[in-house]
Amino acid sequence: MSDDVNKGMPVDLDEEGYLIDYHQWDEAIAHALAEKEGVGELTPDRMEIIKFMRTYYEKYNYYPILRHVCKNVHQEKECINEEFIDPLKAVKIAGLPQPTGEVVAYLKDEVA
Amino acid sequence: MAKKPTPEELSKINYSLPYTGWMYNPVEFKDGMFCNASKPESLNTVDFPNARKWSVKDEDWNLPENWKEIVLEAMKERLEKYRSFRLFMDICVRCGACADKCHFFLGTGDPKNMPVLRAELIRSVYRRYFTKSGQMLGNLAGGRELTLDVLKEWWYYFYQCSECRRCSVFCPYGIDQAEITMIGREILNLLGLNIEWIAGPVANCFMKGNHLGLEPHTIKSNFEFMIDDIEEITGVKVDPSFNRKGAEVLFVAPSGDMFGDPGTYTCMGYMMLFHEIGLDYTWSTYASEGGNFGFFTSNEMAKRLNSKIYAEAQRLGVKWIIGGECGHMWRVMHQYMDTWNGPADFLEVPVSPITGTKFENAGSTKMIHIAEFTADLIKHGKLNLDPSRNDHLKVTFHDSCNTSRGMGILDEPRYVIKNVCNNFHEMPEDTIREKTFCCGSGSGLNASENMELRLRGGFPRANAVKHVQQHHGVNMLANICAIDRAALPPLMNYWVPGVDVAGMHELVANALVMKGEKERTQDMRLEDLPEKEGAEDV
Repeated sequence: MSDDVNKGMPVDLDEEGYLIDYHQWDEAIAHALAEKEGVGELTPDRMEIIKFMRTYYEKYNYYPILRHVCKNVHQEKECINEEFIDPLKAVKIAGLPQPTGEVVAYLKDEVA
Repeated sequence: MAKKPTPEELSKINYSLPYTGWMYNPVEFKDGMFCNASKPESLNTVDFPNARKWSVKDEDWNLPENWKEIVLEAMKERLEKYRSFRLFMDICVRCGACADKCHFFLGTGDPKNMPVLRAELIRSVYRRYFTKSGQMLGNLAGGRELTLDVLKEWWYYFYQCSECRRCSVFCPYGIDQAEITMIGREILNLLGLNIEWIAGPVANCFMKGNHLGLEPHTIKSNFEFMIDDIEEITGVKVDPSFNRKGAEVLFVAPSGDMFGDPGTYTCMGYMMLFHEIGLDYTWSTYASEGGNFGFFTSNEMAKRLNSKIYAEAQRLGVKWIIGGECGHMWRVMHQYMDTWNGPADFLEVPVSPITGTKFENAGSTKMIHIAEFTADLIKHGKLNLDPSRNDHLKVTFHDSCNTSRGMGILDEPRYVIKNVCNNFHEMPEDTIREKTFCCGSGSGLNASENMELRLRGGFPRANAVKHVQQHHGVNMLANICAIDRAALPPLMNYWVPGVDVAGMHELVANALVMKGEKERTQDMRLEDLPEKEGAEDV
């Protein structure tokens, strides 16, 4: 992990900016991560998405289908792209571990 | 990718040849053009050698001291074992017919991406160590010493070949470049030189049954979500079974369809089709992957991963197998599975219970492609279809390299699509069917860090899509491959904005009129269907 990534963060992140220890997450950390990712304020809608992703991950040891999240929190079906632009930012803010390359390929359809 | 170049920048490709010879220039690792190194934990999972942390740009790749001996011994062994390998090493006359047929050469202008020269990287070592003339005359006879620079060059260029085999269509000798790349990668794997985008999914598949690492309860959860969506769209509740003993058919799909859009829409299409015809079938959470990234690693690894399909078919006591929309999965099923893990004597030759068609072509593997199955249903008039529900789409079809060149599935998908869509337009002749252009991300190269390579490799395909977009207003690129469904969306967004990507059975599902369904107002993506009345007025 580099010092730059961790600058000002109260928790350890990996090289790509994902929380190393999933259990260290709390709402204050989520706010700090959101700011670091340039997402801005974590509105109640955004926090609801984040929390659902965590609950899902705890139960299924996996990342939810993105549409699944939006349907469950009763938001627009493109809610994650609309709220976070990049789904991987939502994964980071939710404190979930870094997804493998293949998961990333299915989560993103934009050129990095 | 370091900095995202614009399409205008990226399409300026320099095809002029360098003044210096190709043999002794050390490889230059360009950012955006290669994938991350494999991680030790991934290699350890499948007991692959030399599992250690390493980085591509490090000078020292932490190879075993006797790496050269290992490579030469491995070449010797494979030259004896595979007649094709020795033949392909010997018979190339360097005519150059393949040179400009490779999408990676067309997209990069790098001469070492000409198939002839990519093969020459290993062929030169073959000559030096395994032919009399090369042993005596060295590079006068086209031979080359095996050095660390040469090995690194192999790694860079064998992971810039997507094993698509377009070059082999044009080779007057029929040299199969994919097989050379496969041997090259197999040898590199003996030194622990894989990429993580392949090694990770291989480890996942070995441990959990699928590349994505979805566990049984996760698969179930994803299906419940999709079933819910199907009910919302159609009013029909489908009820697929998992790991059900005694089912007639085992269905195996690529795991990408169980997780990522637009693959999930195709997955919903499979379920709706099977429900509608009342097929007695089951999914498996153990054989939960049709694809086979072992195939991009070594023959032995591919065989190990493939074995679970027959094992599960036997355990469940099914009669035969249907496979979903996947590309490389089908090269494995069609050309390797029977030899590796057959004969599947415990299965029966597939007979469609709906039409009575006996699929003699699968008499040995006992496994058929869903495109064949669905085309047969349509041919016999067994499906009630309303193609006007796809009228908002102007569709073209991308032949996956492996289903087209690897097994000859050329007409079935077209037949199906033309029956479920009213607007279909082919891309130019030299870019479809056996001559199809690769998506640029096949054979495990669908990572993020090599995005420039993918965009360059996908440029010829994208160009052909742009042609039909401009001439016919095409807005949907259909395919029968899960890698395509992951790889083509960013490619289209970059080169041909306005063209979306769909699996064939998503289009089938849109058109499929189900018994007891409600009036459809949404397509499979839960997008509103255009007003029917308006369409009739036109």
